[in-house]
This record gives sequence, C-alpha cells and structure tokens, in this order.
Amino acid sequence: MNRFRRRYGASPLHLLAALSSLALAAWAVAEVLDVAGRPGRILLWFVGAIIAHDLVLFPAYTAIGRLLQRALGLTGDDPEQRSRLRIAALNHVRVPALLSGLMLLVWFPLIARKAPQTFENLSARSADGYLGRWLLLSALLFAGSALLLVLRAWRMRARSPA
Amino acid sequence: MDDARRTPAPPKSGAGPFRRDFWRSPLRGPWLASVLSSALLPLILVCALTGFLSHAAYEPELGSNRLIMAPDLFPWRWPTNPAWLYGLNQGLHIITGLAAIPILLAKLWAVTPKLFEVPVVRSVAHLLERLSLALLVGGGLFVLATGIINIQLWYPFGFSFVLGHYWGAVVFVAALAFHVAIKLGVMRRAFRANGVLRPLRDDLEHTRPEPELDGLHTSAPGAPASPTLTRRFLLGGVGAGSIGLTLMGLGQVAGGPFRRLAQLAPRGQSYGDGPNDFQVNKTFRSVRIPRTEVGPDWRLTLQVGDVRRAELTRARLLDLEQVSAELPIACVEGWTTTQRWTGVRISELARLAGAADPVEVEARSLQKRGTFRRATLSASQLEDPRSLLALRVNGADLSLDHGFPARLIVPALPGVHCTKWVTALTFKESA
Repeated sequence: MNRFRRRYGASPLHLLAALSSLALAAWAVAEVLDVAGRPGRILLWFVGAIIAHDLVLFPAYTAIGRLLQRALGLTGDDPEQRSRLRIAALNHVRVPALLSGLMLLVWFPLIARKAPQTFENLSARSADGYLGRWLLLSALLFAGSALLLVLRAWRMRARSPA
Repeated sequence: MDDARRTPAPPKSGAGPFRRDFWRSPLRGPWLASVLSSALLPLILVCALTGFLSHAAYEPELGSNRLIMAPDLFPWRWPTNPAWLYGLNQGLHIITGLAAIPILLAKLWAVTPKLFEVPVVRSVAHLLERLSLALLVGGGLFVLATGIINIQLWYPFGFSFVLGHYWGAVVFVAALAFHVAIKLGVMRRAFRANGVLRPLRDDLEHTRPEPELDGLHTSAPGAPASPTLTRRFLLGGVGAGSIGLTLMGLGQVAGGPFRRLAQLAPRGQSYGDGPNDFQVNKTFRSVRIPRTEVGPDWRLTLQVGDVRRAELTRARLLDLEQVSAELPIACVEGWTTTQRWTGVRISELARLAGAADPVEVEARSLQKRGTFRRATLSASQLEDPRSLLALRVNGADLSLDHGFPARLIVPALPGVHCTKWVTALTFKESA
C-alpha cells in the first residue's frame, strides 16, 4: 500500500476514481467524434473557452483592478496611504464595475447585436435596446454606488475628530 | 482518499505567475474556494439534472423525436401532470445556469494560482488531477458559454448546439464527480480550520490571510498584501451578481408584471395586450410557408398508419366540440407563457379518424424544413383531455405567428413539440 502511494502519489481509490471519471469523459468524446460533422469545431470551442477565461478575461480584469488600485494610491502596505476613505472608494468602483462587466459578459450577444436579423425573425421582437438598457443599468449601479460613497464619506468625517 | 503530497515548493521557484509571491490577494485560499464551491455545487447539480431531464421530455424513443444518440435513462414516459412541469424544469435549468456564472468566475479567481503551481507535475496522481481539471474548467465554461449564447438566438457554433451542449455536459459532470470526491477532504479541513461562516464576521481590520493547510498545495497567497476587502463583502458582491441574473431569468418564466425584470434577457419584452400578444419562438415569416397553404384551401389530414381517413376544413374543425384549457407553453430556452387555448381534443380527432387504441400520434407541420416540422406524442399525451389541436387562443383565432390555422398544445410538452401550422395527424395503433 505504501509502495503504491509512493509510486502513484495517492491511494488506489484515487486512481480508481480518476480512471472512472476519465473513462466517462472519453466516452462522451468518442460519441461526439462519431456523430458530429465537424468535431474539430467543438474542440475549438472547448479549448477556446479555457483560453478565453484563463489567458484573456482573468488577466484583463486583474490588470484593470491593479490600475484602479494604483490610481487610488492603494498599492503598498503603508498604513499612511491606507485611509478608510480610499479603500471605500476602491470598493465603490469595484462592485458596480464588476456587476456591469458581468451583465456585459452574459448578455454580450444581445448587447453587441451579434445576430439582430435572426433575433427579430424568430422572436418577432426588436433586437435594439439591449445596449441602451445595459448602459442605463450600469449608470444606475455606478450612480447608486457613488451616492453611498458620499454618504459614507460624510459619516466618516462626522465621526473623526476635526 | 487523502492525497499524500509532499510539502509545498519553496516560494521563490519559477518566474512570473509561477512564483508563489506573485499572487497577493489575502482573501484567496481553501476556505474561500470551499465556500464558493458549496454555493456552486447545488446550482450545478440542479442545472445538470434538469438538462438531462429535458432530453427525456422530448420523448426521443418516439417517432423521429430523437435529436442526439444519447442513452435514455429516464425510465418512464414524460408526464402531462402538472402542466407546468416542463416550464419549471427549463426555468430551473436556465436560472441555475445563469446564477452559477458569477460564482464560477469567483471560484476560478480564487484558485487560479493553482494553475501556475510548481512543480507543474508532482506525481502520476497529480497529473491525472490536472488533466481532469482541464476537463472540469473547459467543460464548465463550455456548457455555460454555449447555453447563454444559444438562449440569445445567436448560433455561431459551427456544430449542433444540442449535440455539443449535451456531450459537453457529460464531460463536465464526469470531471466534477472526481473533483468533488478528491476535494471533499480539503473542504472539510478548510472548514474545520476556519469555521464554516466565522471568516464572514471579520471587518477589514480583522481580515487576515488564510492559513495554509499542512502538507497541501492551496491557493493561499505566498506573500499576501494588506486586504482592501472583507470576505463578506466579496461574497456579497458575488451574491448580488447571482441574484441579479436570477431575477432576469425569473422574469422570463414568471410572466405578467414580472417579465419586466428580464431587462437584458432575450424574452423580457412585452408583446402588447391583444389575445395573440405573447412570446413567439419562430415567426410565420421565418419558416417560409407559402401564404396560400394557410388560406381557405388548408385541410387537416387524419391518418391511421399509412391510410388516409379524413380531410377536415377549419370550419369543420370549429363545428366539433370545442374545449378550452389554460396551459403554459414552455421553451427549452427557459421562458414560459400561460394562455387560454381553445380547440379540438386530440383524442376526439383519434376517434374521428377511427384509430382504435392509438399509442402514438405524429403531428406534421406545413414547414418544409427545420428539425421541429414534426413531433410524435405518446399515448398518455394524446389521451390527456387538455391535449388540443388549438384553433383559437384567448377568444380569438390563432395568429399566423402562433400557428394558424391549427397548432398542438399539450400539457408539460416542450414548446417546440407543440407543432404549429399542423397539416396532418398520423395515429399509430397498438400492434
């Protein structure tokens, strides 16, 4: 048993679980290869999804977040810099920005009008207006967040000794 | 099933993201990953289950209903009761899928340092885990991306959506089962070390980096920066995103005044107040049926097997006993609308055709092309007294977009099987 662990890196049960999971996935892949006209396209989307998240989306929002932190002077650990107000300001931008970005990510095909003709043809509704509604909802989020920040700043000032 | 791994690599090995001190957020770590997973797992389970149930709802064993060669694990016929069953199923499928998106993104954020862990492969076990993780992350992103693109009526895939979405889900579920099995122990340890909810109490002054778990490679930072965010605030933000998307999905299912919640969802728009003003899946224009075929020369052909038994005009159909039923029509894309339909019972038409003991009926549309130009119903579906060949809706004739001269409406049947512009019903008798 210990020899197995040393050679394999985990218990035999781990190996059994791994193999049954991989076999099930391989079955699905074999079925797709068997019937799909262009299985390469499915693979492309599968790998593309990983690349799009791990190497595009994640680095992009991380970089934007760091730029924002730098702009607010919140990069270091210096307690002088780390005023409550600055940290609050950072988060009052972060939250609406992330929620607005989430809406864009999810409803991107409608917002960017990727197939307006098909949409109108099938649903008998206009493909217009999604960009406008996304912008309005985003504006609402940023404005609401700004308003809350002003209130918080006002309360912080009221509390701190002059 | 504990993984006997060696102690973590020294922090300075590698370069860029492969250095452990590259990752600085103090909030990352096994507790955060575990909390997000606990929220994610039930959503994914419901989403997967309803997805596989939807395959059963299409009754792939009947007629030419089958869309993909997948095993039929559902041991019963799809029921007609309750009538809102399919609407509920698809509402849950789409809403849980949407709600999972922000949580999955947060989870990936929390564990991304593990993508760059050094050494890249520590053992055979570790290699298998990493391979499985590629299937897990790829599968999860693939099913969510194809799903949200498909419900927005954009088809850029270059492969059959149903085929890709179904088999992608099988890959995802297979990898997820293994992931849950090997990570339950880590989750238990993370909760034991930090408490399940205790880190939520910390304000910013008390927010500390997560401790490492002995002997495990975790996503806890090598060189944590000072926090700018509490854990409850982070999870609150993720939850807000999840709830927002839930409300948008809910608006498409609940209908009435709630439909306005679906501001950015594809089926949130109002059609007006008229009897035919409700959601359309495919317009009359889009299916290119010649106008003459739905005019006064239209006939409904009733067949039993290969034998033609009757041809009925619309006026003749309106002379038969008219039955009304309040029934929802639910789309696989996660939207539902309930209307009052009036028409002739399918069972009455079976009697009229002289079909003794019919076990199936295939409805054929005037559409020349399209996967759903025909659909086959089971015996229990065609016998349900609310299953109608509808001629009218909400007291008015059906509009062309809703299937004039006649359409099927059957309780709990997937919307695309409620065939529009029906031209023939073919009954099959028990052998």
